Amino acid sequence: MVETVQSWEVPIAREDDIVLVRRKARALAQERGFDAFAAAALTTAASELARNVWVHAGGGKAIIEELTDGYRTGIRMTFVDEGPGITDVERVLQGGFSTARSLGLGVSGTRRLVEEFDLQTAPGRGTRVVIVKWTRF
Amino acid sequence: MNAHGPIPILRVGSNLLTTVHIDLHDTVAEAFQQDVLLAIERTGATGLVIDITGLEEVDTYVARILADTGRMAKLMGAQTVVVGMRPEVAATLIRMGYMMEGVETALDVDEGLTLLIERQAKKRRST
Amino acid sequence: MRTLRTRLGFDQRELQSRRAFFDIQDEDLARLAELRELALKHMDDINEEFYTHLLSHPETKRFFPDDATIRRVKRLQREYFLGLFEGRCDLEYVENRLRVGAAHEQIGMSPRWYIGAYRKYLSQLLDRFTNELPVGEGRIGYDSVLKLIMFDMSLAIDAYIAANLETLGRHQAAIRELSTPVIKVQDRILLLPLIGAIDSQRAQQVMETVLLRVIEEKAKVMIIDIAGVPVVDTKVADHLMKTTAAMRLVGAQTILTGISAQVARTIIQLGVDISAMPTLARLQDGIELALSMLGQQITKAST
Ligand SMILES: Nc1ncnc2c1ncn2[C@@H]1O[C@H](COP(=O)(O)OP(=O)(O)O)[C@@H](O)[C@H]1O
Ligand SMILES: [Mg+2]
Repeated sequence: MVETVQSWEVPIAREDDIVLVRRKARALAQERGFDAFAAAALTTAASELARNVWVHAGGGKAIIEELTDGYRTGIRMTFVDEGPGITDVERVLQGGFSTARSLGLGVSGTRRLVEEFDLQTAPGRGTRVVIVKWTRF
Repeated sequence: MNAHGPIPILRVGSNLLTTVHIDLHDTVAEAFQQDVLLAIERTGATGLVIDITGLEEVDTYVARILADTGRMAKLMGAQTVVVGMRPEVAATLIRMGYMMEGVETALDVDEGLTLLIERQAKKRRST
Repeated sequence: MRTLRTRLGFDQRELQSRRAFFDIQDEDLARLAELRELALKHMDDINEEFYTHLLSHPETKRFFPDDATIRRVKRLQREYFLGLFEGRCDLEYVENRLRVGAAHEQIGMSPRWYIGAYRKYLSQLLDRFTNELPVGEGRIGYDSVLKLIMFDMSLAIDAYIAANLETLGRHQAAIRELSTPVIKVQDRILLLPLIGAIDSQRAQQVMETVLLRVIEEKAKVMIIDIAGVPVVDTKVADHLMKTTAAMRLVGAQTILTGISAQVARTIIQLGVDISAMPTLARLQDGIELALSMLGQQITKAST
């Protein structure tokens, strides 16, 4: 059974907030014994998704949770915004597609960095992305 | 060459060396790019080493800035080498599907400078 | 090192919810404290009986090989026993009980045996309580001690599983190391002979290991020999390409050796493009190529 031990909410209202989200993710990952590769993966994922909230939706928030299944520690991050939503979800998940003339690897790449990934979005209804990463044993 | 802007740029022979150790988010990233290009313009440097040993994570946004800066420098006649990428940063970028093709790399600053100097020597010989 | 309790995330909140579930009230604890006298009186005979039971079964007897061990565990058992009648059930108590479970894992005693042993304990206590206390009191007292012992059991099992997972983790780390044996051929040249099947999990381990080693050794060339990989399909080729790309990002080159006729045929027939890295049939040639790559650089740099 998975339980939330602690949680934090970080608003994404300015560009600098992306850095705050990233720092919180890194600090937590390091404190909880994630190795360098897992910590970098989690922090990079946080950075990508927080940036998407800022760039593509004009702001929103991140919720960072420390989880336990009794034996391992997990970190769950939820990114929520009330922006325009994603129209072409398939292409975005496939990767290499961007409406901002950038690389278009944020969403598809993030998905490959974490153990659990969930994307909920609809045009005009905002976007919600949830990722989870667990310590290895 | 004096430190200029938030990220210092040093002159080493005919090359420039810059060490990125702070978060490259929008404003800083643009300033960084601008500073580097202006320094090339001012000095006529033929090589640029960007040391990213200090970066604990590089997302696709920052990776793109680095790659673009290299491409812009190339337009001005300066070859760019990105050095000091950490193992976990390399693994993360590759797992995300970004191979940073077209960006020249080396282990550390020494290797990067050596690579540039070799290139330049070769070029001089052939011309 | 964090304590076992904190590693398990067992905090005040968890204590409250578990105590609530096991229905351990302050009255239960107070009652147990009152029964301490009775417990002390019977401590020694209960313990003796308990060990006679454990020693008369081969499955449990083997954990007590000599008299010194028996004396030691008897002393610990007395402490455990008295702990039940101290009238407390706080985080320190939890810490203590968790240690019991971890100790059992260490000696290899699995939960089925100590659950059986707890059963013996409970029978003995029931026996003493019914003989020496008025009917109602005996029953209530027994109920309180039952709650605490079941609570202890849950902790022992938690600790056992956690310790087991940690052991498993250590074994996996050892296997990882054995399955990615990076060898230093010479200054700045490393060799990884890959043996066995490569799935995506192993591919990720390989990538991480070689990246770390390249930085550690300041290597310039990484030779990956795939002569020992039974099947090279599109997926495996893709993993190898990714490892090569990652090597390039940290400034090292990859040479792929051990390409058999069969593998060469498969790669071309599958239409996989691995032209980004130098490939060779024989490891020996790969080492020579690596040396010449370094040699060239050394002479050039010194001109
Ligand atoms: N939070 C969001 N709100 C609206 N659109 C989004 C959001 N996140 C991603 N998108 C859309 O998905 C596309 C791909 O995103 P991503 O993979 O991060 O690449 P990039 O950000 O480089 O475009 C974006 O160009 C954008 O159109
Ligand atoms: Mg993005």
